[in-house]
Amino acid sequence: MLSNLGNILLFSKVLLSLTIIYFSYQCIKSSSVIIFKKIYQISLLQSTLVLGCFFTLIAAYVVSDFSLINVYQNSHTAKPLLYKISGTWGNHEGSLLLWIIILTIFSFLFLIYNNKHPKNYRLYTLIIQNVLILGFLFFILFNSNPFLSLSPIPKEGLGLNPILQDPALAIHPPLLYLGFVGSSIYFSAAIASLITNYSEKSFAFSIKNWVLISWGFQTLGILVGSIWAYYELGWGGFWFWDPVENASLLPWFAMTALFHSLLVLEKRNLLYFWVIILCLITFTLSVTGTFLVRSGILNSVHTFASDPSRGIYILSFLSIMIFGSLFLLLNKYRKENKLIYSNSKETFVLINNWFMMFYLLTVLVGTLYPIFTDALTNNKISVGPPFYNTVILPVVVIFLFFMAIGPKAKWIKNRFDNLGCFALFLFLALVVNFFIIYFFKSFTILSNLVIISSLFLIFSSFFDLVNSILKSRFDLARTISHLSFGFLVLFIGLNHNFSIEKDFNMRVGEVKSFDNYEIQLQNLELKTYNNYKAIIGNLKIKNYVLKEERTLNPEIRIYDNPQTLTYEAAIKTNFIKDYYLTMSNIDRSEFYNIKFQKKPLMIWIWISVAMLVFGGFLRIFKNAKIN
Amino acid sequence: MKKFWRKLVKNKLFFLTFVFFFTTLSAQEKSIDQNQIFKNLRCLVCQGQSISDSNSDFAQTVKLVVNDLIEEGKTEEEIYSFMAEKYGDWIIYRPQLNKQNFMLWFLPYAFLIGGGLIIFYLIRKKREKA
Repeated sequence: MLSNLGNILLFSKVLLSLTIIYFSYQCIKSSSVIIFKKIYQISLLQSTLVLGCFFTLIAAYVVSDFSLINVYQNSHTAKPLLYKISGTWGNHEGSLLLWIIILTIFSFLFLIYNNKHPKNYRLYTLIIQNVLILGFLFFILFNSNPFLSLSPIPKEGLGLNPILQDPALAIHPPLLYLGFVGSSIYFSAAIASLITNYSEKSFAFSIKNWVLISWGFQTLGILVGSIWAYYELGWGGFWFWDPVENASLLPWFAMTALFHSLLVLEKRNLLYFWVIILCLITFTLSVTGTFLVRSGILNSVHTFASDPSRGIYILSFLSIMIFGSLFLLLNKYRKENKLIYSNSKETFVLINNWFMMFYLLTVLVGTLYPIFTDALTNNKISVGPPFYNTVILPVVVIFLFFMAIGPKAKWIKNRFDNLGCFALFLFLALVVNFFIIYFFKSFTILSNLVIISSLFLIFSSFFDLVNSILKSRFDLARTISHLSFGFLVLFIGLNHNFSIEKDFNMRVGEVKSFDNYEIQLQNLELKTYNNYKAIIGNLKIKNYVLKEERTLNPEIRIYDNPQTLTYEAAIKTNFIKDYYLTMSNIDRSEFYNIKFQKKPLMIWIWISVAMLVFGGFLRIFKNAKIN
Repeated sequence: MKKFWRKLVKNKLFFLTFVFFFTTLSAQEKSIDQNQIFKNLRCLVCQGQSISDSNSDFAQTVKLVVNDLIEEGKTEEEIYSFMAEKYGDWIIYRPQLNKQNFMLWFLPYAFLIGGGLIIFYLIRKKREKA
């Protein structure tokens, strides 16, 4: 029953999209100054239906309706309710439905919130957006339909991979998709702007909040994914330069470059075509990322949904998108002739874009290169963290200096004040760095350069913060974001430098000591839960210097549906450091492998990212107020 | 007044470079540790995990082999070459600089320099016009 309802809703959505395109086209042709009322009404109906469709699928998951293949493959009656619901978008088909929702709702909101902009520009945006919606709808209908039915109806489902049964992972996909798919709206707007020659500052104004919104959610999505990886994978790291993580980072770089360039377009009516290019590549990269992940081309922790036939469809869709927009762009391109002074703010925005493009291309090359070597020479290579660290880190040092100096430059003018301040900040950064080396006895040239440059950015942004409060000229959003970024890099650097890692094979009752620590495997407990059994270790860690004692309980879990073994890390967090402990059994022996890690300042990395996003949202609220 | 500031900036910069080099020289580089090597090797039987992060039998074996090689006095590079020869390039996370991987290491820097040239060109041209 739910299967039929879902399919009917999907089909009616196709019809509605076509109707919207038709009426929009009529409206553009007509002499009417305003947009037909029925276009608004149909858009609203479309958004309502798409939500209805999604709730239908959620309902199927909640009542465990195994007559749907999708539910049968990804759910189980014994699963907690939260994970039944989040299971809806924890698989390929369901997550595509989420894509459509975001495409549709952003389309509707863009239509109603941009009523000050020209009619044709808005209508073309609506048309392009609906073409995208149709593209994904056809994909769902012909290749990845979540409402396909199954008979005879099975009694029980296959269950969801246990490491995906997690609160962070329940919200990770929706957040990330708001970023990924949210970028579609300025893709459409960019094309509409090219078609209608709507290239003034007000174009920048119409998309800038949308860029910030998608950027904010993208960042949050990455943050939540990273936190999940940290406590769930049990490896103790939070970023692995895994191809899928890279896929989420690529559009992030493009968005970051984009909202900086938009400032220039808005203030000086410059860089229009560059802004358009960035709009186009952001969404293109999002779809590329999806293509790479879903087609199974890339080997990664995320290959939960791979199937070559999907790849071919997305690849063709992607090609049409790229060549279509490229063709239009080349057709409309014309030269800009305006002045940029070398010390002006415009230059520094360009420098920001320069670095963002460098990061983007480096990560892109690193992600795609193994595919090429595999195809051309049959030799598979791995491009892992050491590659990215070697190539990117030295550049980050220079980037942070520019990031500190840039905001102090003036628009148009070729002048700089406060040179003395910079010398002072550099001096302070060097002093702090010196103390870090002196007291903690850790030194490598690169990591200390990273620490110095991030401290330089922190001092400089902090100075701005104080200054803007004193002069009550509140440009808080930018200052907070730049400050948090400085802190983020600093904490990552310190965390990397001062992490401790040890592993031991221990028997129950055994004690091991190292550095200032002593660790004891006291006993093991066996517990049975609703959908898994757990072996819980009881470990005591003593720190001689701080005279503190902590008990940590890592687990080995044996899940029933599907049968899997997972290792749950035990983490004790405080503001200074995290203790991170994992335990695993060694086959055919009474030993357990215990891995101990000390991760300093871990929580501050999360807080920095959260503050970075806070800065972004603050800017959105300010923009909304001005409106 | 302006001159005074400029002088101060100059002196400070001089002093700062001095401090920086002093700190650079006085501190010592860490010696190579086995964890570093474990981190750079992929666990072939796992999904995207390094030897250091994994508890699989394969990882345990490789750890023992690496420790033996270190004791034999092999350098980090020699250990990677050994591993690559035995298991293929797939096992090393840091691709070696050779003919095949030349573009991988070269392209990012080419982009960096190319981008810089574009910006330089943009700004300079505009200045000449003015």
